[in-house]
Parts: sequence; C-alpha cells; structure tokens
Amino acid sequence: MSATVVARDGSATESLRGVALRTAQAYSNPYLAGFGLGLVLLGAFVVMGRGLGASGAFASVAAAVSTGVAPEAARSNDYFARYLSASGAPRIDWLLIELVGVTIGGFVSAFLAGRLSRSIERGPRITDGSRLRFAFAGGAIMGVGAVFARGCTSGQALTGGALLSVGSWLFMGAAFAAAYAAAPFLRKAWT
Amino acid sequence: MSAPFFEFGAFGESASFGVALIIGIAFGWFLERSGMGSARKLAGQFYLRDLTVFKVMFTAIVTAMLGAFWLGWMGVLDLSRVYVPETFILPQLAGGLIFGAGFAMGGLCPGTSCVSAATGRIDGFAVVIGMFAGVLATGLFFDPLQAFYESTPKGAFTLPQLLGTGEGIVVLGIVLIAIAGFRGAEALERRSARMPSR
Amino acid sequence: MMPTHNSRQIVRYLGGIAVVLGVMAAFAGSPRRQTNARLDLDRLAQTVERDDDNVTAVELGDWIRNRRPNLRIVDLRDSAEFEDYHIPTAERIALTSLTSTRFRNDETVVLYSGGDGRAAQGWVFLRAMGFTRVYFLKGGLYEWLDDVMNPAISPSASENERLEFRRVSEISRYFGGAPMVGERKSSRPSIEVKSNGSVREAVSRIRGRGC
Repeated sequence: MSATVVARDGSATESLRGVALRTAQAYSNPYLAGFGLGLVLLGAFVVMGRGLGASGAFASVAAAVSTGVAPEAARSNDYFARYLSASGAPRIDWLLIELVGVTIGGFVSAFLAGRLSRSIERGPRITDGSRLRFAFAGGAIMGVGAVFARGCTSGQALTGGALLSVGSWLFMGAAFAAAYAAAPFLRKAWT
Repeated sequence: MSAPFFEFGAFGESASFGVALIIGIAFGWFLERSGMGSARKLAGQFYLRDLTVFKVMFTAIVTAMLGAFWLGWMGVLDLSRVYVPETFILPQLAGGLIFGAGFAMGGLCPGTSCVSAATGRIDGFAVVIGMFAGVLATGLFFDPLQAFYESTPKGAFTLPQLLGTGEGIVVLGIVLIAIAGFRGAEALERRSARMPSR
Repeated sequence: MMPTHNSRQIVRYLGGIAVVLGVMAAFAGSPRRQTNARLDLDRLAQTVERDDDNVTAVELGDWIRNRRPNLRIVDLRDSAEFEDYHIPTAERIALTSLTSTRFRNDETVVLYSGGDGRAAQGWVFLRAMGFTRVYFLKGGLYEWLDDVMNPAISPSASENERLEFRRVSEISRYFGGAPMVGERKSSRPSIEVKSNGSVREAVSRIRGRGC
C-alpha cells in the first residue's frame, strides 16, 4: 500500500496508493554546508584557540572506563594519563562535550528535514548482519589509526588541514589513499 | 578585540564547556545537512560516484584557512595562541593508512558516526561502538606501541616551514588545488551518473 | 531547501572570493603579528654599557622643542595616570600592546614610565623585535618633572653649571615649567608652576605616588 523511494540526493518520497507525499528533504548543497562547517571551525579558533575533534572524546571515555575496570593499569598508562587528572580520576573533556553537541546537532537537523529513520544503511548485496559486522570492524580499525594519528578527519584533516600542519596533511593523504586502495575489495559491501 | 577569547581569559573552563556544546551542535548540524551522516553517501566517495565528502571537507578547510589567515593578518586573531596539532611523521602516516582502511570498511568516521547514530542509523551506532573498542584496546596495549607512537616528532610543523615559503603562498596553493579538485569532482560525478549504476 | 540555481550562484561567488583572498594572501606577508624576536645579548649589553639605551629628560625636552623628525614618545603607564599628566606629544601604549604596535624603522621611539624600570623593560622588547632607534627616559617621569618642569640650581653653582642651567631653563619654560634657584627642599614642588593649577596638582599627585 505505501512505498518509500529514497533518491540519491537524500530526499525520500513516500507514496500511498499511488499518491506521492514528499517526506524527506534533499541534502544541502555540499559547498554551502562545507562553508558553514568552515565558519564553525573558524569560530572554534577565534573563541577557544583550538579546533574541532572527535576521536579524542572516544579516548577520554576509554580512559574513564579503564579507571573503572582496571584502575592500576589506567593510572600507569601513558596514553590514558592525559585524559585523567593527577589522582587518576576521569576529567571532563572538552571534546566529549563537543561530541555530545555533534550528536544533538545531527539529530535536530535530521528531525527538521524529516530524515530520522531507524534503519541500517548498506549496499544492496550484503545482509544487515554483515553490514553491522563491517561497521564494527571498520570502527575498531579506525580507532587504532586515530590513536597513532592523534586524531581523525575532524581533528586532523579539518583542523590541522586549515592550520597547515604537515602531519595533518600527511594523515589526510594517507587516509584517502588507503581508503581508495581498500575500496575495490569492499565493493560487495557498498555496491 | 583579543582572540582567541578563551586564551585571553574572556571566560573560564565551565563556560568553555558551554562553548563546546554550541560548537558541537553547529558542527553536527552541518554534517547532517550535507548528508555526511549517511554511510552509503560517504562510501560513494570511494567509488567516485558521490564526492560530497571531498567537497564538504575541502570547502571547510579552505574557509577556515582563509579566515584564520586574514583574521591573523588584521591582528584580530593571535595565531600564535591557536593550538596547531603537533606533527609525528611516522605514526601519523601509519595511523592515516590504518584509519583510511577502516573508513572504507565502516563508511563513517568518528564524527559522522555520531551523527549517523543520532539520526537512528543502527550501523552508525555500530561504528561508534567499534571505534570505542578500537581506542580502548590500543590504549590498554599501549606499552609496546609507545615507542612507535612517540617517534619522529616535529612539533608544530607547518607546510610553509616545510616548503620554506611564506604562508600566503601556501594558502593560495591550497585554494587553487581545492578549486581544481572541485571541478574534477563535478566532472567525475557527471560521468558516473551517465554510467550504468552499480 | 534553496532553489538550486541560487545556491550555484552563491557558491560561485564564494569560490571567486576565495580565489581573490588567496591571491591577496600570497602578497600579504605574514599573518602572525609577533615576528620571531631574537635577542643579540652581546649587542644589547654593549648598548647598555655605552649608555646608548636611554636619554635624559633634558635631551628629550630638547628633541621635542626642536621638533625632531619621526619622534614617537610612548607612555607606558595606565590611562588614569596618562590623563593626569603626560609628557607633551606622548601617546599611551600599554606594555602588553607594545609588541603588537607597528613602529617604523625610521622612527625614534622614546619609552617612559613613572620610574624607568618598566620603560627599560619595554626597551628590551623593542630591541629584540629589531627596532634600533629605541630609548627609554632615564629616571622616567619623575626625572622629567625634576629636571625639566622644576629644574633647580644651587646658588653656589659654577659658571659652566649656570650656562647649562640657562639652556635647561629655556627648555623648561617651553613646557610651562618653572626653573628656580635654590635647593629643592622636598620632593613636593614648592614653587608656582606657570601653567594652570591643574598641572601643579597633577605633578604633586604624581610625585606623591612614588615607585
């Protein structure tokens, strides 16, 4: 009776007995959204003297969790140490609050555009379960990479890129190169 | 006007968390608006079908880069007080390669995975959990990795310093590369749209 | 959300602006205000030894009176003190803003503060940034008040000293000061300052504050 057709621009049309009702908006022009994003990043420079980030928030949560699970190991761990106070207690991390904001902003935008949807995005040739396993594995691998790179696409590529940091541009180049190199092997997952 | 405001003591740490929230909300808003919360859209980048990721990222980089340059030049923003991520050549190269592979597999990066999860995508949530597991595991097994992690440090090493040229030249170079890249991206997308979709 | 051709136009404008800003950036010089300051300590030490780092109040008065070209006198005190009284033709710049002030290489900069401590520190900053024609007022504003505004000569002075005093008196009167013969009894001015009374009040207020 009702069918939803999602177009490549993100807009979705639900039709009921042949009558089309537009339900979700198309995505914004990427250049305009990127411009807005750039202004937000610039705003962070001007107000806070720092850039954006995401993976750092994951690290601070991991540090907090490790203090609960293995306090001795956490305190003597040189990686988690910077996310903990001198006494080993978890500190509130600026990036963590920022990431909470990211989640809220994403939710509000999707809500207003009618793009909220409990679903699993995947290519047509794999199953939901496979997709979720790939997602988890991909996330874990990114986690490892982000630790060594001291950041991810938000912290290194965007922030370090705008500030012309050599390491950030290296990271960006390496990440895109590796992704394009891995893509042919993952065709089944996406196409 | 003395910017960065926080660095010049305009407000304290608790207020900075309020700022973090506002900045984060704006960040998440623009990510979702451009469709970066969709793993399929992001993955389209790697099959040269949908180069939104490239367009959004580089427009953002160029915008913030030009903004920082000119606000610095005008004396409004004290660039020496803005934190530049430190460079560690080998770990960031290796980290980038590893990250890229994971990105192609998961289809979302740390920031966009949160956006995706917020819009109800379960696969987005899976990436978030995976990221967390990966970071936790690396942290717990950090000891043998520490030497590599700290190798080849260069401090706050910038492209102008590396190339031995002025910052303005590098800025111009990046603007031109970005514009050329955008033209190329549009052409690739048009070509891919004409091909039988796969 | 937006009609597509409008967004395309806006994107084109933004792209054009980006290119213009990029090209301008290539010719704009550094966006960082503070150039990397290098301290040639040996050279600075020699300059200090030679006493080439400061000027006396009388010398400064002479420079002002003779309208020395490209002279910039900088008062490093706070705005209340500056409003009270400042050396004529001086401008107020806080020490923290000194390093971001654009001085030209051909300008002669004379720094002064109440005493000469602050000004001597500012001297080091400006020298470190590469400006060579920098001096601080020896003795600071107090010395100015003593030597220029209220110069005194003892009745038993030598002929040379009297000649010198005549020269100083000329400069003093130019600024509305009041030269006198006799001992200056206390640090508070005991003589009439020719210019309006508010200057006299200001001068005594300044003296009262001390170092």
